[in-house]
Amino acid sequence: MTEKNLLLAIFEDIDPAAHAVDKLRELGVTDTHVTVISGTPITEAMLGRKPQWSNVTRFALGGAFLGLCVGIFLAYGTPNLYPIIVGGRWIGVPPTIVVMFEMTMLVMLISTFIGVFLDSRFPNYTPTQYVPEISDGRIALLIECGGELEIAIESAMKAIGAESVKRAQAEAL
Amino acid sequence: MAISASALPHAQSEEHAHPASHGTGDHEAELRKEHLMLDPRPRGEMNAMVMDSMTTTSWKFWLVAGILAVIVAVALFGAWGYMISEGLYLSGKNRPGYWSLFLVHTVFWVGISHAGTFVSALLRVFKVEFRRPFTRAAELMTTFALAQAGIQIFAHMGRVWLAYWMFPIPNQRQLWVNFQSPLMWDFLAINTYLLSSTMYLFLPLIPDLAMARDRSTGWRKSVYRILALGFRGTEAEWTHLRIALNIFAFAILPVMFSVHTIVSWDFAVAMRPGWSSTIFGPYFVIGALQSGVAAVAMVVIAIRYTMKHMDYFIRKEHLDAIGKLMLVISMGWAYFFFNDYMIQWYGGDKFTDALLHFHEAGPGGWIWFMMLITNVAIPWLVLWNKAWRRNPAILFSVGLLINVGMWAERYIIVPVSLQINRMPFLWGQDFKPGIEVPIFIGTIAFFVLLYMLASRFIPLVPVWEVQEGQMAHSIRKYGKEPVVTVAELE
Repeated sequence: MTEKNLLLAIFEDIDPAAHAVDKLRELGVTDTHVTVISGTPITEAMLGRKPQWSNVTRFALGGAFLGLCVGIFLAYGTPNLYPIIVGGRWIGVPPTIVVMFEMTMLVMLISTFIGVFLDSRFPNYTPTQYVPEISDGRIALLIECGGELEIAIESAMKAIGAESVKRAQAEAL
Repeated sequence: MAISASALPHAQSEEHAHPASHGTGDHEAELRKEHLMLDPRPRGEMNAMVMDSMTTTSWKFWLVAGILAVIVAVALFGAWGYMISEGLYLSGKNRPGYWSLFLVHTVFWVGISHAGTFVSALLRVFKVEFRRPFTRAAELMTTFALAQAGIQIFAHMGRVWLAYWMFPIPNQRQLWVNFQSPLMWDFLAINTYLLSSTMYLFLPLIPDLAMARDRSTGWRKSVYRILALGFRGTEAEWTHLRIALNIFAFAILPVMFSVHTIVSWDFAVAMRPGWSSTIFGPYFVIGALQSGVAAVAMVVIAIRYTMKHMDYFIRKEHLDAIGKLMLVISMGWAYFFFNDYMIQWYGGDKFTDALLHFHEAGPGGWIWFMMLITNVAIPWLVLWNKAWRRNPAILFSVGLLINVGMWAERYIIVPVSLQINRMPFLWGQDFKPGIEVPIFIGTIAFFVLLYMLASRFIPLVPVWEVQEGQMAHSIRKYGKEPVVTVAELE
């Protein structure tokens, strides 16, 4: 089995980082083996990478549907479970729209929030590959590569303009 | 040729910037001095400035915080506790003024809370760039103001320990909450808004908490480490965050509109003169924005002049923009007020007619005129002028006066309007405020205190959003004229 190493290349600006992504492809490192880490949102398109998969929208839609069901149940279902007799009047539609709307929005937004946590695997306090310089504006490429490619990648990254290239160590954040 | 703002030479802060050269150079230097987005600094330096503003605290800060804490303890919790032990007769509640000042203050605080979401979400949806440095300060306002609104509602309830009766949970009384009551809608809407706005506050805060984690030591590092949730800034994390923020920005706006509309329905669905109006919903929403945006102006000015380095992030361009927003909203408020007044006035209902005359000519008539002067006359006379909009003292004063005026508007709607109803034998003209006054003063102190404490623990400026904006801005020359351009980075 080929030995796998993790290299962390730090760049000061986005242009060399984008060149580095291209260079890594030339060296045979696929996009799935490169993780881009930055202190400011950098879209995949800026680095010429495929868009990231996210389930957050699905969580939101699922939450909206669930919330609507909860709203319908609260507005129409529970008054039948615990009836309040008010002269035999039925429950009109307009007032219940308010309840359904609020519950739809509430559960949708809670689901969106939870979706971010699940998709991003938050909270995660285990030691991981990271350097504090990233939140100071640096862009890091975390490269998973075979041991035979390590030297070639290191020299290529430095030639492109990496501030540093080093073996990534998992450290407590 | 376009020059990226982040690629421009490091510019000096607003107070110390000097034009680099004559002509075009002068104009470019002025643009950079004026616009935060065109005056980038290295990210590490901006991080250091924000951290420094959080950790540098003088004795004056703690003195003010201590005084506020005493006011909160005595005027808010002391008075409230005394009222609980003695009874609601200590408040101004009386027949026919059943709702007294607690409801005035509830509406007041819910109104203040609206601008946080409005400024942050609406301006995010429309990609309005001047929002970037103060969105968090505005979002914090939403959460803290809603907490004060909650206190007012609980105080109004009297037997606050029975608040759980509002929850739709089966209980020993075999009673069920009435989902057709506006008070129940209020409960749902305010809770939805509170939870949503708190989540909306927290999500964009995560990258800044990670920044604070990376730059702090000791107990602060432990706290930020927990709150940052292990955020590193991977592409995937940013993608999830970006999608979630877009969903929140679009979804929280209708929630915001629903909250104050529902608050208005507490009044409008009642068959009372002056209240039963189809325009009350949007009238309340615009009123909420009127008081809320004015409060944002006050908060932004307070932050700029009391916290270290904030003069770099919050500039006169921001005061100018908020001032324009206040002027437009003031015009909107005047339109809705006149619309509501006109229809009622022409309606011919004798009780409404008596009420409208009572508003302007009754014992509280001066409050009615003060409302119009502070909400319409003063903003219109002052905020059309660019130099006055950019003057912090003037803008702060206008913001304060607008909030006084909006308090007066709610005062007229609740206790004053309750004096005149469809049963003349129940008319009353001697409303006397009671213990609500110290409790309200206590909530103001609590609001300011929460803000002050938050400024010590939460990065009030979303640094990553500021840097993102600076990356997107550039100066482009059309002929000899340098103009600001903004790229769509998403």
